[in-house]
Amino acid sequence: MAERVGIVDHSALKVNQAGIILTVLVAFVGSAFSSWFELLIPALAVVMLLGTWRPDLALFKQFYFKFLKPRGIVKPRPLEDSPTPHNFAQGLGGVFVVIASVLLPFSLVLGLAVSLLVAVLAFINLAFNYCVGCQVYFLLGRTGVLKQA
Amino acid sequence: MSFEVQAAAIGIAGATVGLTAMAARLTSWQARRRAVEEVGTSAGEPYILYFTTQECSICRTHQEPALRKLEATVKKVDAIAEAELAKRYSIYTVPSTVVVRGDGTTAEVNYGYAPAEKLRRQLAAAGFTSAA
Repeated sequence: MAERVGIVDHSALKVNQAGIILTVLVAFVGSAFSSWFELLIPALAVVMLLGTWRPDLALFKQFYFKFLKPRGIVKPRPLEDSPTPHNFAQGLGGVFVVIASVLLPFSLVLGLAVSLLVAVLAFINLAFNYCVGCQVYFLLGRTGVLKQA
Repeated sequence: MSFEVQAAAIGIAGATVGLTAMAARLTSWQARRRAVEEVGTSAGEPYILYFTTQECSICRTHQEPALRKLEATVKKVDAIAEAELAKRYSIYTVPSTVVVRGDGTTAEVNYGYAPAEKLRRQLAAAGFTSAA
């Protein structure tokens, strides 16, 4: 896994995290009223994994780049950074949301609990700039599981 | 309308987060205890061990400018090349900074970016006398 250092707009990451938190919260609260809201969880999994695979397909980031940023609603915050750990973190979150989606039909409690965990980790990143998924990425690099250039 | 499912999910997620946070705190505490040992320097002024890697961009954009504001000695350590030293302080995050007292014992370990003001306070607490 090659390490690329470039310019990363951290506002796009923040909007992405906010989108994840909002989707999980809507699914969580809505599930008390209608099971249709649970469908938001697998939909979120698709959005997160698609965004990891192709950043131009990342729904929340594209919402930022195409709508929020041009209108000045959210100001850009470009920083010299490597996008790889952030993409890895999103992919990891996406995998957990897939697990939540698989659990939902069998155990609503567990499915929602795993979804909430992803939302909590996204909130920690949004509020405190602590990217747990990035730390996992660095840890895997240090232990040799992931090859980082 | 019953909210038992939601309450149970909050309980499970909350317990998981709580246990993980406690484990992380315990690991950090153990690392600090292990770190209280000689690092191979003679008695003198406190200094900072600065762990970084070549790919760490936030180290260059944030941590190094903060370190340049300090008057204390900063010893830069490549966390990958100096794996044993990094392991001693349980460094799995870059940047990380370790404030070392003049007698070689560890005063503070900061995982993640540490602002200059915070490091200055830690250095003063560790007995650094030349700080502005």
